[in-house]
Amino acid sequence: MRRKKVCLVSYGSTEYSRKSEESVLTHYANAIRQALERARLHKKEVRGLSITTQASPDFSPHVAEQLGLEVDWVLNGDYGGAGGVMSVRRAADAIECGHLEVAVLVGGNSFDKSVAHQRPLEYQRANYVDVYGYGGPNSLMALIQRLHMENYGTTLEQIGKIAVAQRANAINNPQALFREPMSMQDYLKSRMISDPIRLFDCVMPCSGAECVILASEEKAKKITDKLVYLVTDAEISHYQVADMQPDKTTFGTKVVGERIFSEVRREDIDLLEIYDDYPIAVMIQIEDLGFCKKGDGGKFVDARDLTYNGDFPVNTGGGELSVGQAGLAGGFLHIVEALRQLRGEAEGHQVKQAERALVTGIGWLNYGRNLGTTAAIVIERRQ
Amino acid sequence: MAEASALKKSLPKINKVDAPYWQAAAAGKLVLQKCRDCGKVQFFPRVACVDCFSGALDWVEAKGAGKIHSFTWVRVPRNPAFKEDAPICYINVMLDEGVIVESRLVGDSKDKVKMGDRVRVVFQETHSPEIKLPMFELMGSPR
Repeated sequence: MRRKKVCLVSYGSTEYSRKSEESVLTHYANAIRQALERARLHKKEVRGLSITTQASPDFSPHVAEQLGLEVDWVLNGDYGGAGGVMSVRRAADAIECGHLEVAVLVGGNSFDKSVAHQRPLEYQRANYVDVYGYGGPNSLMALIQRLHMENYGTTLEQIGKIAVAQRANAINNPQALFREPMSMQDYLKSRMISDPIRLFDCVMPCSGAECVILASEEKAKKITDKLVYLVTDAEISHYQVADMQPDKTTFGTKVVGERIFSEVRREDIDLLEIYDDYPIAVMIQIEDLGFCKKGDGGKFVDARDLTYNGDFPVNTGGGELSVGQAGLAGGFLHIVEALRQLRGEAEGHQVKQAERALVTGIGWLNYGRNLGTTAAIVIERRQ
Repeated sequence: MAEASALKKSLPKINKVDAPYWQAAAAGKLVLQKCRDCGKVQFFPRVACVDCFSGALDWVEAKGAGKIHSFTWVRVPRNPAFKEDAPICYINVMLDEGVIVESRLVGDSKDKVKMGDRVRVVFQETHSPEIKLPMFELMGSPR
């Protein structure tokens, strides 16, 4: 489907911290305030709110009350790592329908110990996974990475190249928690966590928040002259769910990619912000999006320069791997970075020709397969 | 609260849907759901057939054999109570019935595991007398 009249008009990001016990509400407020100030919007103009988090038991209507927002539209954007992209889709639907003009979407995490954190595991994870002493998402992605290496001959160096390139991108991104250079040797020698997943395959949990503001085209034109449009978007949840012998190395991103690229051309994408809970997940998504054949992801990254000034810029601010993963704000980080790039505001890591960006989200490693949610959007700067 | 439960290894919270599975496991049998209408065999236990949505699901006994579809050595278990078992060989098994199950590889020869190795089910005691966990060992392991 092609979108016509929805724009992404602003963004806000808090500092990331590995220790802060600031409440998630404070992080939300800080990210939203920054985004409102950038767009010179008053909070009374905000008529929609979406919240994505695992760090608070409060649902979005309660959070709207806590933030003092009277709204015509409210959403729990509760879709794991795809929460950012999928919330954008929901908000765009509402704006296109005319329910509201301005929606604020926020994702965040905190280490606030005074609030009940971890929600209980879902039934199938609790009864059929956790009982075996699994190691969380690291173990589940390790099963996928081993299959990719075994079936396609993918090497650690090829997977590591993604982590190393993203670190190079992060060096000039002040938000990134990891800004010291990383070599291939650093990657290969990093501690084994759940083999073949190593420490530098993993994201650093941190606290903070990311905010994106969407508006109707009409409203957007009053807010900014840097018009960034939502062009097309797609999602699929529980791809291959009825297949008891699923291909664990193909994500729903394959279906998402087919839908996206029926509307835009691959060669017109200037930069990609690909959800990077692990480098192998980036490689698999590059394949699933059709930039190369299934299994050729290793050779593809070998042949390309993934840095912000390379020929295939991926995760230009360092991604979650180098910036940090503020819980489910991780799914917003990529949208915010894409927006920064298209607005020409990515100081120190700006892609030269940045008119069109593809952003993906993936979430919820599921039972026996791979991902619960997969989604993508394409956004475009127009003069 | 969280601290108290974290000291114990996780056990399934048995519900109405999967109680027959756990009763069978306690009796040393690995069972799967089979759709009476379309014949689909599925795992984990659900209220409907994943293919045709029929609610007529029978429990059928699996042979308890399969092969290693993928594996990882868990250094840091999510629940710290499992730390004494680490590294844990967490596996996906492709059962001969054609379904993937997630489990753990046990037995003295587990260090030699490779992709595609044949495995058979064993039932591991837990700290609950009513619950046994289906795990797997390499075929050819001494019993």
